[in-house]
This record gives sequence, C-alpha cells and structure tokens, in this order.
Amino acid sequence: MNTDRMSQVRNQTLLFIGLAVFTLLNLVPLIWAALTSFKNPADAFTVPPTIIFEPTFEYHRQVWLERGFVHYLINSLIVSAGTVLISVPIGSLAAYALSRMPQRRASPILFALFTIRMFPHMLLAIPFFVMGSFLNMIDTYPLLIMALVAINQPFTIWLMYSFFLDIPRELDEAAAIDGCSPWQTFRIVILPLARPGLTVAALFSLLLSYNEFLFALVLTGIRTKTLPVAIASFGGEDVSDWSISAAGAIGIMMPIVLIMIFVQRHLVRGLTIGAVKG
Amino acid sequence: MAVVLLWPLGYAVYLSTFDYHLGSPGMRFVGLANYAQLLSEARFWQSLWTTIGIAFGSVAVEFGLGFALALALYRLTFSTRVFMILLFLPHIITPVVATLFLKWILTSNWGLIDATLATFNINPPDWLGNPMWARVCVVLADAWIFTPFVMLVLYAALQTLDQAQIEAAKIDGAGSWRIIRHVVLPSLVPVIVFTVSVRLMDVFRFFDTIYVLTGGGPGTATETITMYTYQLGFQLLQVGKASALGIITLVIVAAIIATFSSVLQRGYGRN
Repeated sequence: MNTDRMSQVRNQTLLFIGLAVFTLLNLVPLIWAALTSFKNPADAFTVPPTIIFEPTFEYHRQVWLERGFVHYLINSLIVSAGTVLISVPIGSLAAYALSRMPQRRASPILFALFTIRMFPHMLLAIPFFVMGSFLNMIDTYPLLIMALVAINQPFTIWLMYSFFLDIPRELDEAAAIDGCSPWQTFRIVILPLARPGLTVAALFSLLLSYNEFLFALVLTGIRTKTLPVAIASFGGEDVSDWSISAAGAIGIMMPIVLIMIFVQRHLVRGLTIGAVKG
Repeated sequence: MAVVLLWPLGYAVYLSTFDYHLGSPGMRFVGLANYAQLLSEARFWQSLWTTIGIAFGSVAVEFGLGFALALALYRLTFSTRVFMILLFLPHIITPVVATLFLKWILTSNWGLIDATLATFNINPPDWLGNPMWARVCVVLADAWIFTPFVMLVLYAALQTLDQAQIEAAKIDGAGSWRIIRHVVLPSLVPVIVFTVSVRLMDVFRFFDTIYVLTGGGPGTATETITMYTYQLGFQLLQVGKASALGIITLVIVAAIIATFSSVLQRGYGRN
C-alpha cells in the first residue's frame, strides 16, 4: 500500500515537472518579446542575449503615441464592435428559430453553416474585394464589418444554438399559454436565460474580428487599418525597430488575455462551436 | 442570411469563369479556361504539394503533442487549470502577433536562438532563409499556435471517458499503453475526426503565419495555395484566375476531409 502511494506521488511530481518545463519552453517566445519591449536597442542585440537590463517604457509610449497605434486601436474597436453588434442579434434570432424547429429541418441548415466554416477565407475575400473596388468602398468601415459578419455568422449561430437547446421548450409553451406572442416569448422569457450564451458569443466574435488579418489586410487602407495589419506592416523587417514593434505586439495582446481569463470556462464550447457535443 | 453567406461563393464561382484583371475595362468570358490553365501550371502543383506537406506535417505534430499534453493534464491531479491557461496563451493571441514573436526568435544573427547558439560558438543554419528549414519553421509555428486547441478539445473529451471501462481493463491486467490504444483511443474517434478535420481545413487556408513569417519565401519554398491565391488576386489583380484557384482549394479540402473521416470511421467501425 505504502509503495503504491509513493509511486503515485512520484508519478505526479514527474508529470508536474515535465509539464512545467514544457510550458516554460512553450512561453519563451512570449517572454522574450515582453522583455524586448522594455529594452533599449543596445540591450536587444547582444550575444549572449541579456536577461538583466535597465527597463524602459519609452517604446511602449512611442508605439502608441508617435506611431499611430491609438488610431489603429480605435479602428480595431469600431470594426469589432460593429461586427458584434450586427452578428450577435441576428445570430441569436436565427439560432433561436433553429433550436425550436424540428431536428429534421434544422440539421441541414446547421450542416450548411458548418461547411461554410470550411471555405478558404481567400475565396470569400476576393468577391468582397472586387465588390469593394466597384462600389469604391475599399478602406471604409462598413465593407470590412460586412465581410467579418459574413465569416463570423455561422460560428455565432452554432454557438447560440447549443445554448438555446439547453433551455427547455416547456418554457416557450408556458409563455404562449400566458398569452405571449413568439416575439415576446423570445424577448422576455428566453433571452434573459440565454444571457451567459450571449456574452460568450459576443466575446468570441469580438476576439475573432479583433484577430482577423486577411480581410483587414485586403479591405483596409490608411484610414481604417486595424492593429494586426499595422503591426504586420512594420513588424519584422527593420531590426532596429524591434523594441517598438515588440511593445506594439505586447499591447495588442493584452486585451485578449483579459477576455480569455473571462471566458475560460466556456473556451471548449466556444472553440468547437458545439460540434463535439452536437 | 443565406444570401449574405452564399452570395460571395456564388460570385466567386461566377468570377472564376472570366478572364478578368481588376482595373482593366473588360471582362472576357472564358468558361473553364482559368481552371485548365491552373492545372497545367507547375507553380500551382508546387504550391499544392507545399500545402499538403505543411498541412500534414503540422497536423501530425499538433495531434501527437496535443494528445500527449491532454493525457498529461488528465492524469495530473493538481494545478491543472494554471497549466491550461498558460499552455493556451499562444492560441488565443492574435496570430500575426504570435508569429512575430516567433520571428524574433528565429531571425538570423539577432534572433534569440542564433544569439544563444553564437554564445557557444555554434554556427546555426539560416532558419528562415533556407528552403528546408523555412518549411520546418512554418510547421513549428503552426504547431505552436494550434497545439493548444487540439489539447483542449482532447482534454475535454477525456473528461467524458467511461471510468468503469478503464478500471475493468486495469483489472484484466492491461498496461497504460494498451489501455490508451484499446480503450481510450477508440472512444475518442469522433472527437479525433472532428479535430483533425477542423485543423486540416484551417491549415489549407492559413495565411497570417506564412505571410508574416516567410512571405512564401525563400523563393517559393513556403508558397502554399493560399499564398499563391493572394499573389494572384491581390498583387497581380487577376481576380478571375484567383477565384478559380479558390474554388479548386475548396474542392480539395472537401475531398480530403471526406476521405479522412470515412476511412477513420470505417477502420474503427470494424473492431
């Protein structure tokens, strides 16, 4: 018995150490970038690399105030907020309708939505690009928001669908007996119950549109450039700008880390759009 | 709703039958000529093989590593959540940013790896400048970003395993390997099909990482189909041909996934 317990403890310790080492190695790029963002160029390019140096906030200040990142942040926020405000309400209406349909009729639609996730984004970007140039809408917010809603929508619907399914149908029936119209039922009875789902859908859409690169790259210009496009455009090339771009990159990352801590309970569901459970 | 989603696809199919340079006045209907031209082109086939190589390489790494991590977390009885969050960070940060982090590590001479190796007087290869290493770096970059996803999904699936079955196998004297092979893996098949399919779809369209890390280079060593489509559509503005390439990609992805899931399901269905 005792040897059993001891081998148990030993196994756990080995597992812990193994995971800890792996995690640390895994985070090296991140830690390195964070350190670089506080380094003067003189400290950033040394052989061997330095870990001890005099930190400076200069580059964090520069990237946001002098390199226009505040402007790009505002663009990112407008675009993400626009996407969320359009795709969550429409998505939850559609998802509610699907969840109250007979399974037989709902599943082909759900399957179609899932296949849309399979589309190469490149294939969707081309029509938006062509249409945008026709209508002279390249470098405007509505075009990018529309494109992001289009790629975001299947995801929102799937996610909300899995939340609505968990709300028992009896509630709808009870509301109907009490004289609610379908719309009132949805608004007064169902929506409040689905609030956690709405929050998750909104936050995930926010992440998706905040992180999106391809559409932002081809559909924006000087005026509406978002953060990922901005960081990519002056990120890697010029070595002397490392500290500045590291500061920018770390800055872009921060809101996401906060959101992630907030949604971690729902991560699996959000990331797999309910398909595992499906 | 359906219009918003299907319109771009329909329009892309429509565009793919025209010889159309954005900015030039006319569109000329050419039927399937764009497709024929692509299929007879060495650059297309090269980008296709590059894509397949990178796709299967990274999915293999991600799956192996992700499964190992999921099992480790499943066995660990404490501080699982902390590991989970830390391991998950690379996946959740903006892909462009994540790739930049890697680029700073891999850059020749000044990158962390080279600077460290130089300290020990080791002369490293040019990671991103050598065609073979550039491909390896792209695979590793994708693995860095997406292993956490595979890990999380498999971990969630492990939680739903039937403990009684595992206990029974233990009593029958099965070792850990045999339990994993004969009890754990079979019950995970649907989840495995799901994860691998999703990952294959994603790798076939992934763009940010290659764009930032190598830009398709050196030469065309890491030019995937997506990169080639981008070149055609947004640099050369041949939107007709680019659309055709996009449609071909879609067909290939659909075919691979259909084959993969039917083979795996049938293979396990027999046992």
